[in-house]
Amino acid sequence: MIQIGKVFVPILAAMTVGAYLGTEARSHPAEDRKRTHIAVWVGWSGFEYDAFQAVVNDYNKQQNTIFVDLLSISGNSLKTLISASAGLPPEISLLSASEIPQFADAGAIEILDEICKENGLTEDKYVPGYWDVMQYQGHSYALPATPATIALHYNTDILKSAGYTKAPETIEEMTEMENKITTIKEGKMVMAGFLPTEPGWWTWAWGPFFGGKLWDGKSKITFNDPENLRAMEWYGSYSKRFGHQQLTAYKSGFGVFASPENGFLAGRVAMEVQGVWMSNFIKTYSPTLKWDAVPFPYPKDRPDLKGHTIVDQDIFVLLKGCKHRSEAIKFLAYCESQPAMEKLCLGQKKCSPLRNKTDEFWAKQENPRIRLFDEMAYSKNAFANPKIAIMPQYQAEISNALDEVALRTLTPKEAVDKVTARMQPKLENYLRVLEARRKAGK
Amino acid sequence: MKSKKKWLTILTHGVLISFSCLFIFPFLWLLDTAIKPIGETMKEPPVWIPSKFEFHNFWDAITYGSDKVGYIPFFVYAQNSLMLCTLVVVGRVISNSVVAYAFARLRWWGRDFVFALTLATMMVPFPVLMVPTFTIFRHLDWIGTYRPLWVPAWFGSAFSIFLLRQFFRTIPFELSEAARIDGAGEWLIFKSIILPLCKPALSVVALFAFMGTWNDFLGPLIYLLRQDTFTLAIGLEFYHSKAGGTQWNLLMAATAIVIMPVMIVFFFCQKQFIKGIAITGIK
Amino acid sequence: MNKRKESIAGLLFASPWLFGISAFLFYPLLMSLYLSFCDYSVLRPAVWIGTDNYRELFHDEVFWITVKNTLLYAVVSLPMSMILGIGLAMLLNSKVKGLTVYRTIFFIPSLVPVVSLAMLWLWLLNGEHGIINLGLGKIGINGPNWLSNPAWSKPALILMSLWGVGNAMLIYLASLQDVPVSLLEASELDGASSWQKTRNVTLPMISPVIQFNMVMGIIGSLQVFTEAFVMFPGGVPARSTYFYSMYLYDNAFNYSRMGYASAMGWILFIVIMILTGIALKLSNRHVHYGGV
Repeated sequence: MIQIGKVFVPILAAMTVGAYLGTEARSHPAEDRKRTHIAVWVGWSGFEYDAFQAVVNDYNKQQNTIFVDLLSISGNSLKTLISASAGLPPEISLLSASEIPQFADAGAIEILDEICKENGLTEDKYVPGYWDVMQYQGHSYALPATPATIALHYNTDILKSAGYTKAPETIEEMTEMENKITTIKEGKMVMAGFLPTEPGWWTWAWGPFFGGKLWDGKSKITFNDPENLRAMEWYGSYSKRFGHQQLTAYKSGFGVFASPENGFLAGRVAMEVQGVWMSNFIKTYSPTLKWDAVPFPYPKDRPDLKGHTIVDQDIFVLLKGCKHRSEAIKFLAYCESQPAMEKLCLGQKKCSPLRNKTDEFWAKQENPRIRLFDEMAYSKNAFANPKIAIMPQYQAEISNALDEVALRTLTPKEAVDKVTARMQPKLENYLRVLEARRKAGK
Repeated sequence: MKSKKKWLTILTHGVLISFSCLFIFPFLWLLDTAIKPIGETMKEPPVWIPSKFEFHNFWDAITYGSDKVGYIPFFVYAQNSLMLCTLVVVGRVISNSVVAYAFARLRWWGRDFVFALTLATMMVPFPVLMVPTFTIFRHLDWIGTYRPLWVPAWFGSAFSIFLLRQFFRTIPFELSEAARIDGAGEWLIFKSIILPLCKPALSVVALFAFMGTWNDFLGPLIYLLRQDTFTLAIGLEFYHSKAGGTQWNLLMAATAIVIMPVMIVFFFCQKQFIKGIAITGIK
Repeated sequence: MNKRKESIAGLLFASPWLFGISAFLFYPLLMSLYLSFCDYSVLRPAVWIGTDNYRELFHDEVFWITVKNTLLYAVVSLPMSMILGIGLAMLLNSKVKGLTVYRTIFFIPSLVPVVSLAMLWLWLLNGEHGIINLGLGKIGINGPNWLSNPAWSKPALILMSLWGVGNAMLIYLASLQDVPVSLLEASELDGASSWQKTRNVTLPMISPVIQFNMVMGIIGSLQVFTEAFVMFPGGVPARSTYFYSMYLYDNAFNYSRMGYASAMGWILFIVIMILTGIALKLSNRHVHYGGV
């Protein structure tokens, strides 16, 4: 017994000490003293990450004072918030434009007005739709990384076999086409025209597609305005027309997004709302699929909404209290330069947020409709996530309301009223807190 | 009487086998998927026997994209998990046996009161402590390190203290009295009389600690920041990428690899393990 | 024996825990009590707002939905897993061949990491081409849309939790092996049937363990989080799987409302204490502390 103990205890002790030293080394990586290291955290992975890594490599090679440590982080925005609260933020983090208000209100990110001016990163250099989403309460809080606009993708073969040669222009036309295309055989759906839940990523945007506003920009939640109600009724009409059971059963037969069994890629859904990246997935998983894209339809009586799109942009922010601020700014300025930006956007198969684009950039783009996605960002009808920090909660409420309308446990009217009633006090509370902080701050 | 017993045995086996099927089926499906080509993982109707047995999936899973940065460094995660588990397991066993000794075999002022409190703390839900604990570690500048995940383990945990105390009490008190008369100090009694007799119980504490840490999701999710510090439990999520491009076969292969060590340990040590729980008699 | 010396030794031996319980339990508990009366986002200092959080919670519809979901889950899953756990343990306690294999089979699922577990089940439960529904179809049952039908998403989670019953089963099994053979033989001589033996000897003998597992089960099931968090982000469909801990987590980390989350935490604590108290009181009558 004692013999075993004599061997066992030292081994265990050595392992423990080793584990301690190992964990410490992992969490405090050694720094290379010759260059200043700046940490850049992104949520990208796969080819999107590779594209940015290539830009970072160029930068690391091109000068020898700064070294950029690029890290792919799952759940990056939460991790950024946590590390900022811990007082050890990375220098730069990649967020989604919709997260600016939350981070700005929390005081986690810097206002970039001065930095933009000093580095010549001015409004006139950028596509307006992409510049606008950086602005919050009159300041620039971020710089564009890779932008995206959203359009209605459609399967030309399916439309053709139903007798259509053109994409729908208005919602009414789209509804008519769906009714014709959607097929139910022996009690089971075998083809769908359009499913609002596929992919179902921008649930907050249906109202705005009908001309609705999520709030009045001052103090009121306007989710129960007639346009939002109309969107809700339209959303509910799918269950009414085809049956909720039927729709969910059909949809659960689809594979995951990036697979040949994706509903649209497998030719089981004729029309789908998707971003500029979709052409790349079509090429990879369903190369023979014939498709085209147009701006999402508008209600027939609202031709003023023609050409609308969601602007959904990834952005760089500079974290307050980071260690190497000026070095980070230098790297940001490099990323915003035309060659670096085009390399990044080309690698991620997206448009560049810069107005100027080289011919080479256009020539190398594989997406046949890339010009459409670019043009849409200039549209006065381009819209983005509303700029309030309570958006995550608002979003959760909207998603749930849509669910309930689809299940028909709430009428569209009840649903919009419920969301409005729930969010109004949250907005007031939020504005009150903001006001109190402003007073305390100045 | 004899034939009745025989029937009973057959019935028991029948029930056990049918339940085993229900329990093992998802697991077999997991293994089955692990050796399928990706194209056959989501087929309808399901593919039971893959057209090709792709055993290299296991290797692919752990080396997935290891030539590129930003993919899934399986070995790094495995290493992290193992290091963390070592620290937690050693900490749990040492601290809890020491503390349990105080509760089981020494009389001191306030002992019963503290013990009652200890039992009561088992009722504190983790979410209540989540926010302030986070704040504590933030003030210590420990966010992003492993310390929030293992340091508390060195200060005892209610469940293990309880378990070990019950066990320690079953050891005859005459043993320690005799040693005391011989002039042995408490530490010596603890180390050379009590501990050697308590291996089954210690192994139970160690296994529970290991499993808890190996599978812990929320802790690493909150406290670890950089990807190369992640543990396997949260690293697995990378096979299920955000856009939904899950590498089913690789995810399942990785899962199989993750649970294999614990499974083997359990298969060979279960007798000892069950004995450990039995004698501690959680009551 | 020197009493003073023993006291000092006791305190010394207990000191890690005395520190641990204060630093990692009492202090956070008190602090979260304080924070529950504050407006607090991690990045800004806490501001005292009195009972506002509690008052808001009381009127928060989502809060009540998560309370309902969580209670429903606990009320259904706890008895089911206890019955299954005890049942399996009893079967395994009979002297049949191949016990080691059976035990391992029943225990394997509780070793699967939650993320993989959730992924695996997402897929087994898929309404259209999930294996479970295909199997049900074979025997003529039209399986439900487990994942997208609010009426079936909770049963899906419960089903999944039953698969992980191995841990509790093991504890029951250990206690069953502790039941003195002499007692069983005695009752056999008295002519007791298997059922009578189970009811009059075995169950009373392991009742303390059942009670212990029940209390731990109450505590655990009211905190259900990871499975639902991975499988049903946001508690879809229609918040049918939105559990208490998920809403608490969302408030703390997604909505930056740590004060509100702390208030939720304290309510949970109090509810658990009350429910555990009731459970202990009700079950104490049936618990037999003769034992070994």
